[in-house]
Amino acid sequence: MAVVSLQAPLWRSIAAFRFASLGYAAILLVIRHDKYAHWGWAWAVLAGMTMWTIVSTVAYAVPERRTRSLLAADLIITSAAVLSTALVQYANSTSIGVMPVTATWLAGPALAWAVVGGATAGAAAAVVIGGCAVLLRGGFQGTALDGPIILLMAAVLVGYISTLTARAEQALQRATEIEAASRERERLARTIHDSVLQVLAMVQRRGAEAGGAAAEIGRLAGEQEAALRALVTGGGQVLSLAGELDLSAILAGEASSEVSVVTPAEPVLLAQRSAEETAAAVRAAIDNVRRHCGDSAKAWVLVDDEGAEVSVTIRDDGPGVSPSRLAEAAAEGRLGVTHAIRGRIRDLGGSADIDSTPGVGTEVRLRVPRSSPRA
Amino acid sequence: MTPQEQPAIRVMVVDDHPMWRDAVSRDLADAGFEVVAAVGEGTQAMQIAAAVRPDVVALDLQLPDVPGVDVTRGLLAAFPPARVLILSASGEHRDVLDAVKAGAAGYILKSASRAEFLDAVRRTAAGEPVFSPGLAGLVLGEFRRLAASPAPDTPRLTEREAEILQMVGTGLSYRQIADRLVLSHRTVQNHVQNTLTKLQLHNRVDLVRYVIEHGLGSDRP
Repeated sequence: MAVVSLQAPLWRSIAAFRFASLGYAAILLVIRHDKYAHWGWAWAVLAGMTMWTIVSTVAYAVPERRTRSLLAADLIITSAAVLSTALVQYANSTSIGVMPVTATWLAGPALAWAVVGGATAGAAAAVVIGGCAVLLRGGFQGTALDGPIILLMAAVLVGYISTLTARAEQALQRATEIEAASRERERLARTIHDSVLQVLAMVQRRGAEAGGAAAEIGRLAGEQEAALRALVTGGGQVLSLAGELDLSAILAGEASSEVSVVTPAEPVLLAQRSAEETAAAVRAAIDNVRRHCGDSAKAWVLVDDEGAEVSVTIRDDGPGVSPSRLAEAAAEGRLGVTHAIRGRIRDLGGSADIDSTPGVGTEVRLRVPRSSPRA
Repeated sequence: MTPQEQPAIRVMVVDDHPMWRDAVSRDLADAGFEVVAAVGEGTQAMQIAAAVRPDVVALDLQLPDVPGVDVTRGLLAAFPPARVLILSASGEHRDVLDAVKAGAAGYILKSASRAEFLDAVRRTAAGEPVFSPGLAGLVLGEFRRLAASPAPDTPRLTEREAEILQMVGTGLSYRQIADRLVLSHRTVQNHVQNTLTKLQLHNRVDLVRYVIEHGLGSDRP
């Protein structure tokens, strides 16, 4: 996967710097011609510097060519150019502060080393070149160290930036890979959706009609179809930036051949805790249906987003219970599950109502407030 | 089930899976319906709709060439008397809702039994809305979403309509709802049909407004 190189701009800056500082060195050579014992040879050095500027710019432009030998050659040639000053300038010029023939051009390799090897490598190259400059000045007196120290700081800074961009590049690369992987997953999901689900639905339908052992196979196919569809369309429960969860996506996992989960087309976002607690209450209600009405009882879960509050209705077509029996059970403390559901929802500031009619079924309605106003 | 003296209900099946297309066609033929066409592509369906004059189109939303919403709209434009019954194996709620807003008369899951499917086709032909619990949830959700809109011409649900949609959404039949609310079966059916009509009308008004504001395809190459 091709990722735009974040280091390319750094290399372009270095190239621009080399050419600009080359021009500066030429201007200084013209202005300070009286400081040179061998002005002609100084121009020869400048010609060599020009050659190297072109060669190095071309070489550094391609990542594969940024080898150790290129970097070493860069450092040696630049150091040699700095030291050549001793041969072309008058001996006293350098000691009174005249720049070497290279002028600021000498910083090139320190910057290149910094980009390739980070702050440490940059510092090392800066010390070598700075050392040459100090040597030229004949020791540490006066302002001899100012230039090398600025060079050192520049090299360390560029090295640090280079390390950061390298890390950013890696992160970008990873993000791109993840994106590609999730795109592939989506494509697979669509394919599964289109073929496997169709077959499962067909098996379920035909099995139910054939009866007997085939009906059992059909039922199993139906369960797998519902589970697979929930997996493909639910897409997992992703926490939104505001810390909210889509209640529909969580509940989609509860769907089976006996349980229909009915939701709006738009996500039903609730604060994470509200969503999780509500889902837990719904699961408890579904378990309750299984326990009291058997495995074949059908249940429906309806999620209704009314804005200020979200209501979830769980209805089953089981035998139902009369209100008096319900009160009786409550009195005997046999309403454990119901209590658990009520407790969970009440903690969220909502309410849970249970309505049961013999012969019709039981309906549990949960109402959960949205703590924050809707966006 | 179909009375012999009446002409058979004409059905067009649109599904890109040959297995489904064949099975559904066979089921329909066995039950006395007349399968006037069975095609695998949306474009083809829209082209032949006017010629084969179906009473009901059993339409799979997941077609390879054209989105289901556009097929729904195209079919109804080509042959307005047709009624579109969405047959979907998916939980792609948005697509189903859009198709219904574009004029589809009903929606049933592919996993529904043969009896449920045949009943749905029969009811669609008779002009009854085929409201699965899933569709009721979608329509209810859409009205809830619209309720947040301040526009004065936004359709709203009456209390009774909301109550009935909630009941359909929890799997109650029209008969059961009628018993609970002490209404006639017909009244419940009308309430349900009303909610759908409101959405479809609003969708059409929206579409017209969009065309007036943006012009008819003037910005397209």
